Amino acid sequence: MAGSGNLHLREQEKPLLRVEDLVVNFLSAGGETVQAVSGFSIDVLEGETLGLVGESGCGKSTTARAIIQSPKPTAGSIQLDGVELTELDDEEMRRTRPILQMIFQDPISSLNPRRTIRDVVAEPLYVWWEEETGRLAIASWFEKTGNLFQKISSKFSRPARILAPLAWLSLIFWLVSEASDERSLETWLSWLKTPAQFIGFPVLFILAAMAAALSVVGAVWLVLAVILPFGVISGKFGSVTNTVGLTGLFTSLFAVVFLFFRTWSSLGGVAHWLSSGILLLAVGFLAVWSLLACREPSRAGSSALAVLVFMLFAIQVFYIVGLDGNTKLAVFSLSAAVDGILYWLIARRYKLARAQMRQRAEPEVKRVLEAVGMEVEGSLERKPHEFSGGQAQRISIARALILNPKVVICDEPVSALDVSVQAQILNLLEDMKAAYGLTLVFIAHDLAVVKNISDRVAVMYLGKICEVGPPELLYSAPQHPYTRLLIDAIPRPDPEFDQRNAVRIEGELPSPLAPPSGCRFRTRCPNVQAKCSTEEPQMKEVASGHYVACHYPADSELNQ
Amino acid sequence: MKVAEDALLEVDNLRTQFDTPGGLLTAVDGVSFSLSKGKSLGVVGESGSGKSVMSRSIMRLLPKVNIQTEGTVRFKSRNLMELAPRDLRKLWGPEMAMIFQDPLGSLNPVVKVGKQVAEGLRVHSGFSKKEARSEALKLLREVGISEPERRLDEYPHQFSGGMRQRIVIAIALACQPDLLIADEPTTALDVTVQAQILDLIEEQRNQRNMSLILVTHDLGVVAGRTDEIMVMYAGRIVERAPTKVLFANMKMPYTEALLESIPKLERPSHSHLLSIPGQPPNMIDAPRGCKFAPRCKYVQDRCVEEEPELISAATPGHLYRCFFPVGSAESADALARNMANGKVDESGSRVHIRT
Ligand SMILES: Nc1ncnc2c1ncn2[C@@H]1O[C@H](COP(=O)(O)OP(=O)(O)OP(=O)(O)O)[C@@H](O)[C@H]1O
Ligand code: SF4
Ligand code: SF4
Ligand SMILES: [Mg+2]
Repeated sequence: MAGSGNLHLREQEKPLLRVEDLVVNFLSAGGETVQAVSGFSIDVLEGETLGLVGESGCGKSTTARAIIQSPKPTAGSIQLDGVELTELDDEEMRRTRPILQMIFQDPISSLNPRRTIRDVVAEPLYVWWEEETGRLAIASWFEKTGNLFQKISSKFSRPARILAPLAWLSLIFWLVSEASDERSLETWLSWLKTPAQFIGFPVLFILAAMAAALSVVGAVWLVLAVILPFGVISGKFGSVTNTVGLTGLFTSLFAVVFLFFRTWSSLGGVAHWLSSGILLLAVGFLAVWSLLACREPSRAGSSALAVLVFMLFAIQVFYIVGLDGNTKLAVFSLSAAVDGILYWLIARRYKLARAQMRQRAEPEVKRVLEAVGMEVEGSLERKPHEFSGGQAQRISIARALILNPKVVICDEPVSALDVSVQAQILNLLEDMKAAYGLTLVFIAHDLAVVKNISDRVAVMYLGKICEVGPPELLYSAPQHPYTRLLIDAIPRPDPEFDQRNAVRIEGELPSPLAPPSGCRFRTRCPNVQAKCSTEEPQMKEVASGHYVACHYPADSELNQ
Repeated sequence: MKVAEDALLEVDNLRTQFDTPGGLLTAVDGVSFSLSKGKSLGVVGESGSGKSVMSRSIMRLLPKVNIQTEGTVRFKSRNLMELAPRDLRKLWGPEMAMIFQDPLGSLNPVVKVGKQVAEGLRVHSGFSKKEARSEALKLLREVGISEPERRLDEYPHQFSGGMRQRIVIAIALACQPDLLIADEPTTALDVTVQAQILDLIEEQRNQRNMSLILVTHDLGVVAGRTDEIMVMYAGRIVERAPTKVLFANMKMPYTEALLESIPKLERPSHSHLLSIPGQPPNMIDAPRGCKFAPRCKYVQDRCVEEEPELISAATPGHLYRCFFPVGSAESADALARNMANGKVDESGSRVHIRT
C-alpha cells in the first residue's frame, strides 16, 4: 500500500502515543534486509482505541513490538506521553514499562507454564519491585545477560552456522586423539566414578556426554543427544534458522573451551591463571546463555542460580584435571560439596525474597483477577494449562493491568479463541478500558472484530498503512482496494450473503525482502494502473478524519 | 433412523467415551445423521463440544486404548465399525479423507511436499513414480500453488500457513475421495487466507461431486457455504437444518447465542456483544436436564429436571432439542419471567451467577 506521508497525524491534538516514520528492518538468514515495517506513522489519543488490521505477515506484531522497544526499531520516533522511547536506554525503558503493557495472541503459551497463576499475574510487579529495591539484583543481572546473548545470537547466527560443523570436526578429532592416550582416558572415566558429581543436575548430563564423546560413536551420540532435542524443543518457539544458529553457536563455544583446555595443561604460572580466567568466562557465558537462550530471557529466575553454581563447578573441574591422583579426588569432592551448599544458600535466599514479595503482591493480584471476572480463590495456585483459552486470556489481561498501565497493546488477543469466548474477551476489554481509563492498541486480522472495539482503524499492508479512518466510514465507504477485499473476506453469518461471489484477494503477500516498487499492493490490486508501479501513493484526506494512500481510491473519478 | 435415498454416510447413535482418571467422559453422545452424495454439512459448536471426536470416530481414526465407541457408521452401506484395520486403511484416501486444523502437524517436516502428495497416489492408485509426480504437479496447480514445478521439491516449512493448508488439501484430494471431513481447516489462518481456502474446498467439492463435512466454531464460516448445518453442544446434536432454514427460523437458544456472539460489520463500533456466559458442562458428570440450562437465558425449572429430545420442527429436515424454542410464545414468556426475577438483565444477557 501503500503509502507514505504523515497527513493523517493529528497535529493540533496532543496524542498519548505517537509513532512517526517507524522503520523496522531485520537481517534475514541469507543476509538480506527484511523490510518488516517501512515508514509507519500513527497517533493515539488518550482513552482512544486504535485498531490495526491486516493479513498475517504484514508487520502488525512487529509494529507492536517496536513500540515496546523489543527489539528497538531501526528508525523513527515513538513518543509516549511526550517521552521519546527510542532514546531511552534499557534501564529507563524498564522504568517506563508499567505504563505500557502488552497482551499476546496465544494465551496459554504466553504465560509461564511452571508458575502458578499467583506468580504469573504478579510477575510484572515482582520485576518492578526488584528494579525499585535492587533486592534481587542477581536475578536481573542474569536477565540482562540473557538479553545480551539473545542479541549476540541473532547477530552471529550466520557465522555460527558455518562454524558449527568445523567446531564439531575439531572436537571429534581432538577427542579421538585424546582417547588414544590411555592415561587420559582413565582421567576422564575417574570423574564418572566420583559420587560427588551427582550434586547439581547439569553436571550429570555434561559428564555423561563427555564420557560418551570419548569414542567416535560417542561423538555421534553427542550430536544426536545435544543437537536434536535442542533443535526440536527450541524449534517450537523460534524459527528454524534461529535454532540452527543457537545450536551452532553453542557447539562452537563448547569446542573452543575444549581446545583451550588442551593447551592449558601444558602452561604454567601467569599463563595458567590467565587461561583459567578466560575459561571461566567462556564456560560461564556458555552455560548461562545456553540455558537462557532456549527460554524467555525475562523469566530467568532461580534456574539462573543453578547455572551460576554449575558454572563454578565447571571451572573447578577444569582446574582439578591439572592436579594429580589423590589430591584430585579430594579437591573434587570438596568443591562439589561447597557448590552444593552455595546453591542451597542462594536458592533459599531467593525463595525467601519471593515469599515476601508474594505476600506483598497478594491484594493486587486479587484485585485484578476479580476485575477480569476470574474466581480468585480457586485460581491462585493453579497453573496456566489448567485453564481454558478464554480463562487464560483473562489471566493475561489481569497481568497486563496489575501495574495500572496507561496504554495496553493487544496483539491478536482473540484470534486463537472460539467466537463465543472472543465475545467475552472483547466485552471485557471494553469494560476494562472504561473502568481504568485505558488507551488501547488492538491488533487483529478480522476487520469485523477490529471495527467493534475501535474508535479509529488503520489498515496495514506489507509494512505500510493504506487507509486510516473512523470504523464506520471505513466499512461503509472503504477507499482503498485492499480494505474492500478485507471486508469481503470476513465470514458472514448470513446465508443470503453469497460468499462464493465475494471479491477475493489473489495469491500471497509479496516477500518483504523485495517489496514491489511504487504501491506495495500493486501486485494483487484489482484496480492497478501503470502509475502504481512507478509512483508511491501518498496519504490524502478523502473525508474528515478519513485518509487513504492510493492513486485511485474508490471515490476517485476513475472509479466513478 | 430414516435413511435418505442416496445416503453416502449414515451415522446412527454414535457414542464415544474416554476412560479418564476423573471418570468416564462422554465426548459424543447419541449422534445420528446422514449425508447424501455431493452434499455438504457444516458442524458448528464451541470448543469441547465434541466436533473433533465425532469426526475422528466417523473416520475411525481414534486410538483403541481407553476409548469406547458405540453405534454404527455406514459408509456406502458398509458398517465401518465392523471393518478390520486393514480394510479401513484401504478406505482412507480413495474413499474418505480428512483435513485437520494444524497444517504443519499433518505434514511430515522432513519429506518434500511433492513426495508427500504423490505418496497416496502410489499406494492407492498404483501409479509409477513418474506418473505420481506429474499427477502431484497437476494437483498442486489445482489447489492454487504457483510455480508448482519448483515447489514440489521444497519442504513444508518453506511454505506459509495458507499454502501448507493447500498442500494438505491436495493430499486429501489426491485419491478422489467421496467424502471429505475438514476439521477446522482455517481456524489457524487469517481471514483473507481463510476465505481463499474455503473457496478452494468449495470449488473442489463441486468439481468432484464430493460430500463434505466442514467442522468449525464460527457460524459465519458455514453460513453461505454448506447445504445443511448441524449444531453440537455437549456431544449432542442440538439443532440441525438446511442452512437457509436455520438462519431464517432458528429454534435452539444455543444457536441463537452462538450467532449473537459474532461481531457484525453492520453494527456500530462498541456495540455490546451478547456472549454466552460460563463454559460448556463437564462431560464426566453432565447435569441431568438440558445441558445448556446453566447458560441459557430462557431456562425454566423443567429444563433443569428433564432433558429435551431431538424433535422435528414444522419445516422438513429441521430438528432441535429445546422446550422453549426461540421465536415461540413459550420462549417469550420464559424470557419475560427470567427478566422479572432478575436471572437475565435488560440487555438480554444471562446474569452470571457465581458459585
Ligand atoms: N484423548 C482424549 N482423552 C480424554 N478426553 C478427550 C480426548 N480427546 C477429547 N477429549 C474430550 O472430549 C470432549 C470433546 O472434544 P473435541 O475435541 O471433540 O471438541 P471440539 O468440539 O472439537 O473442540 P475444539 O473446537 O476445541 O476443537 C472434550 O471434553 C475433550 O476434553
Ligand atoms: S490502485 Fe494503484 S495505488 Fe491504489 S492500491 Fe491499487 S495498485 Fe495501489
Ligand atoms: S431446553 Fe430450556 S435450557 Fe435448554 S435450551 Fe431450551 S430453554 Fe434453554
Ligand atoms: Mg476440534
